[in-house]
Amino acid sequence: MTNRISELRKDLRLSQAELADAVDVTRQTIISLESGRYNASLLLAHKIAKFFGLTIEEVFLFEEDAP
Amino acid sequence: MKGMGKHNLLPGLCLGIAVGLGVAAAMLGERLSSPVSGLCFGLAGVLGGLSGSRLIMAHFDRTWTPEERKEIERAEHDERNMVIREKAAYASWYWSLYLLWGLWLLTLVTSGGMYVAFASVAIVLHCVFLMVNVNRWSKKL
Repeated sequence: MTNRISELRKDLRLSQAELADAVDVTRQTIISLESGRYNASLLLAHKIAKFFGLTIEEVFLFEEDAP
Repeated sequence: MKGMGKHNLLPGLCLGIAVGLGVAAAMLGERLSSPVSGLCFGLAGVLGGLSGSRLIMAHFDRTWTPEERKEIERAEHDERNMVIREKAAYASWYWSLYLLWGLWLLTLVTSGGMYVAFASVAIVLHCVFLMVNVNRWSKKL
């Protein structure tokens, strides 16, 4: 699973700390999410998507299994 | 004593008891039997460690700014940190199991008898605690 958090955050000219504040997690969590080391829970994915005004599918990209 | 709040009274008292026990055991020396001396030093160590760390944490707690306090609270409930703690706890369970098996083997080779039984009971309890908690959480989730 990949995500567009870094891209969307930069579009809004937000720092990682500001995004972390907005969705009530630590900056380390945002760093890990952006680098793809950590996958957000459904609740956090919902919070992040809601913050950007998008759906979860628009922020988090689920890759289809290769046939 | 001025800066010492009500919450620090118990840890302070425990630290005092720990120091008292340690000093008494050291002064009495060989007049105490080996198990009693070990018990005194063990209790002093545990009490001193727990109460000392509590007092140090209380000291730092007073020096935190509201922003730092908020950040610490957030870190406490952060979902990634919770996942890290859960994974660390589970890995630690395996590490302590290997340690217990090592102790069991050591007691088997060196002393035997009651110590082998103690180590065996510890291994069984270690596994039982995990099973009890797995069962408890499978009902909750």
